Amino acid sequence: MSVIHRLMHPRIIIGGGIVALFALAALLAPVLPLRDPASQALLYSLLPPAWAPGGNPAYLLGTDSLGRDVLAHLVYGARTALYVAVLAATGAMLLGTTLALLAGYFGGWIDWLVARAVDTWMSFPPVVLALILLVGFGAGINNVVLAIIIVDWTRFARVIRSEVIVIRRRDYIAAARLSGFSHLRTLVSEVLPATLPLILTLFSLEMGIAVIVEATLSFVGLSVESNVPAWGVMIADARVYIYQTPWGVMLPVLAIFSLVLAFNLLGDGLRAALDPKLRQRGGVAP
Amino acid sequence: MTATLQIRNLTVSLRGTDVLRDLSFDVGPGKVVGLVGESGAGKSMIGRVLAGALPDGFAVTRGTATFAGQDLTALPPAARRALLGGRVTFIPQEPLTALNPLLTIGDQFSEYLGRLSIPRAARRDIILSALEQVDLPNPAQMIARYPFQLSGGQNQRVLIAMAFVSDPALVVADEPTTALDVSTQMSVVSLIRRFNRDSSTGLIFITHDLRLAAHVCDEIVVLYAGEVVERGPSSRVMASPRHPYTRSLRGSIPEMSGPLHRLIPLADSMPGIGAFAAMPGCRFAGRCPVADPTCAARPPAPMELGEGHMVRCTPACLEGAAALTPEPLPPVPEPNGAPILRIEGLSKRFAPRRGLWGQVRDPGVLAVDAADLVVRPGEFVGVVGESGSGKSTLARLIMGLETPSAGRILVGDTDVTQASRAARDTRLQTLQMIFQDPQSALNPRRSVERLITQGLEASGAPDRPARARALMKDTGLSADLARRFPSELSGGQKQRVNIARALCVVPRLLVADEIVSGLDVSVQAQILNLLMRLRDDLGIALVLISHDLGVVRYLCSRVCVMQNGKIVEQGGVSDVFSNPQHAYTRALLAAIPPDDAADTWPPATTKDPAHDAA
Repeated sequence: MSVIHRLMHPRIIIGGGIVALFALAALLAPVLPLRDPASQALLYSLLPPAWAPGGNPAYLLGTDSLGRDVLAHLVYGARTALYVAVLAATGAMLLGTTLALLAGYFGGWIDWLVARAVDTWMSFPPVVLALILLVGFGAGINNVVLAIIIVDWTRFARVIRSEVIVIRRRDYIAAARLSGFSHLRTLVSEVLPATLPLILTLFSLEMGIAVIVEATLSFVGLSVESNVPAWGVMIADARVYIYQTPWGVMLPVLAIFSLVLAFNLLGDGLRAALDPKLRQRGGVAP
Repeated sequence: MTATLQIRNLTVSLRGTDVLRDLSFDVGPGKVVGLVGESGAGKSMIGRVLAGALPDGFAVTRGTATFAGQDLTALPPAARRALLGGRVTFIPQEPLTALNPLLTIGDQFSEYLGRLSIPRAARRDIILSALEQVDLPNPAQMIARYPFQLSGGQNQRVLIAMAFVSDPALVVADEPTTALDVSTQMSVVSLIRRFNRDSSTGLIFITHDLRLAAHVCDEIVVLYAGEVVERGPSSRVMASPRHPYTRSLRGSIPEMSGPLHRLIPLADSMPGIGAFAAMPGCRFAGRCPVADPTCAARPPAPMELGEGHMVRCTPACLEGAAALTPEPLPPVPEPNGAPILRIEGLSKRFAPRRGLWGQVRDPGVLAVDAADLVVRPGEFVGVVGESGSGKSTLARLIMGLETPSAGRILVGDTDVTQASRAARDTRLQTLQMIFQDPQSALNPRRSVERLITQGLEASGAPDRPARARALMKDTGLSADLARRFPSELSGGQKQRVNIARALCVVPRLLVADEIVSGLDVSVQAQILNLLMRLRDDLGIALVLISHDLGVVRYLCSRVCVMQNGKIVEQGGVSDVFSNPQHAYTRALLAAIPPDDAADTWPPATTKDPAHDAA
C-alpha cells in the first residue's frame, strides 16, 4: 500500500482539513474582506451574531464590548494561535528530538543525564512552570513560545528516546556502522528516518497543546499585548458580559476547541497510518 | 484396531481457495504421525481444525475428522469442547509464550486441572507426580516458580506434563523442540516418545525437520502448500523418498556421516496462500525439477506404492526424480597464505551492573574467555555451540561491535584491537558481517540497490547501480529486484541481499552469524551453495557461527566448539566430527538425529534433565 493511500485516513482528512482551513484564514487575513479588528464602533457594542435576534448583518459574528468585529478578531486570533503553535512545536521538537537521539543512540552517561533531566522536568506542573518562566522572562508572545519549548521538549525526548533505544538494537544499525558510516551519519540516515512517523505525530499533538497554553496565558494577560487579537484575550474580555452576550465567550472557545480537536485527530490519524505496529493489526490473516 | 483420529479428504478454504487440499491420514493408538513441511505448508492448520480455532475467514469445506466416532468438523463448539476436554491436548512451539508469566507453574497447572473438573484437594498430588514424571528436578520447589525462572527446556517439560496428565487419547505437538537447543531437543523428544509408548496415546508431531521426524514418528506425512505429497512409514520415506519434493527436502539436509554430496536446492520458495487460486494442478510443479506441462494443469491422483506408502505424483515424474542423484562434493583445497585474521586470547567480560546503593543488579558474565583463532584466505571456519555459549559475542568482537576486555585481534599484520580510525578502516575493508535475522538487518526504508551498495555511500563511490547489478548477479538475485524494498522480498531473497551488502566492499573474510537458522531447508541449501560458490569464485574466507553441526560439516574445513565462552575443542571438521575429544563435543554430536532412520535415536538411556537446567 502506498504512503498516499495510507494517508487517506478519515481522521487525517477531517483533522487536516480543519487545520488547513484555519491556516488559510490566518495567512490570508489581511486580504480577506474583514473589518479592521482594531476599529471600534461603540454604538454597535455587544451585538449578537447576525442570525440571532438583534443581530446586524454588517457584523456577521457580532461585536465585543468596544464594538470591534468578532469575526475579524477570531481570524486574526488564529494568526496568533498558529504562530505560537508552529514555532513552539518546532522548537520543542528540535530540542527534544536531538537530545533523544543522542541519549538513545549513545546510551551511557548522556542517556543517564537526559533521562534524569526529563524525569525532573516532568515532575513540575507544566502550566505552573510556564507561568513562572513568563514571570521571569516578562510577558510577550515570543516569550510564550520560549516557555512552551522549555516546558514541552520532554514530551518529545521521552517518547523518541525509547523508540531510538529499540531501533538502536536492530542489526541494520550495526550494518550501517560496518559499512563505514560515522556515528553522525548513522544517526541521520538510519535512525532518524525510522523515528519520523513518531516525530510527525508528536508534532501535531504538540501544536494542539501549544494552542491551549497560548490561550491560557493570553487569558491571564501574559501573552500578547492587549491590542493584538488573541483568543485568550477575547475570552477574558467577554467574560465580564457573559450574561448579556454569551456569544462573546462561546465563539473563541469554539475556535480553540475545533483547532485543538483537529490537531489531535490529525496526530491520531498519522499514528495509525504511519506506525507499522498499528498498521499490521489491520492486515490480512496469514 | 480402529484409529484414534481419522482424517479423510479434509479441505480447508479461505474465500474459495483451498488452503488445505484433500488431506487424509490416520493416527492409531500409541502411534506417532509426523506432519513434515516447510513454513507455509499448512502443517499447523491441522491442529487448529481439531481445536476448532481456525483463523477468521478459514473454514472446513469438505471432508471429515473423526475422533471417538464423531466428526469433529460437524460438531458445534460447545459439544466439541465437551467431547475433547482432556482427551485431545496440545504441546505448543514456544513454551515461554504458552505459559502465563504472572502465574506460578503450580497455579497454572492447578487452573488447568480445574478445567478438567478435578477437585482442588486432589490437585497438588497430581501436579507433583506429573512434574516428577517429566524428570523435573525437585517438583515441590518447581511449583512455586514462575516460567521466566525456568529454562526453555524446563518450561517445555511442564507443558508436556500438562498435555499428558489427563491420559489423553491424542496429543498434538506443534514444533515442540524448534525453540530449543539440540541436546534439550533430544531429551524432550525422548520424553515425548516415552510417554507415547507407555500409554496408548496417539501423537501428531508437527515439524519442519524431516530427519527428526524420521526418528520420532512411525508414519510421516509430507505436506507441500497445503497438500499431502507423500505419506508412508517413516523409515521408507526417509530412506527412499519418492516424490520430487520429498527427495529435494531429503537432498537439502547436510549429511552428518559418510561422504558429502552437493545439496540440491529448490528454486525460489513455497508459494503463498494468495497464489493457490492460480494453481489448479500440482502445486509443486512450479519448483519441480522434473515437471512437465500437464503437471500444472491437473492435480495428480494419489498413487499407492504398497506398505502404506502413498505419493501424489505421476509415474513419469517419479522416474525422472529417481534419475536425479546428487553429485559428490569435491574436496576443499588446503588453505594457504598468511592468515587474514588472528585472534589471541580474546576475552569479553560484561561488567556487573550496580544500582544506586551498590547492590548488584546484574552479576555480569565472561561471555568470551581467552579465545584463539586463525583464519587463512579461502578457509571456512565453523564456530558451534548452544545458545549462550558466546558465539555471537565472538562474532561481534571480531567485527568491532563490542570492545574486548583482553586479548588481541590482528587483521593481516595490523593490530585492530584499539578502535582507532585507521584500525577501523583496515578492519572494515577486510572483514564484513552477515547478520542473523535479515528482517532486522535490512533497513526497511532502503531499496535493495541502496542496501547492497551501502558500503559505497560513506566513501562516495560513483556508479552505485552498476555495482549493485554486479553484486546481485553474484548472489543470484534477479536484476528487477533492485528497486524493491525488504518487505517485498522472501526470506531467502532477504538473506541474499544481506550477503550482497557484505560483499560490496570486496572483503576477504565474512563473519556469518546463524545466517540460515531462520530459513526453510530448501532455501537454506540455496544459501549454503551460494557461500560455497563465493569461495570458489572470489576466494573469500568465512567464519560461520552456527548451532547446526550439519551446516558446519557441509561448508567448513575447520571447526571450533564453544561452551560457556570457552573454545573447548578446535580442529579439522572431519577429525572433530569423527573423533571428538571433548565431552561437550561428543554430547553435541550425539544430540543430532542420525541420517539413517534405522539407527536408534534418541539413545534409550537419555534421561538427563541436568542438561537443560538453566
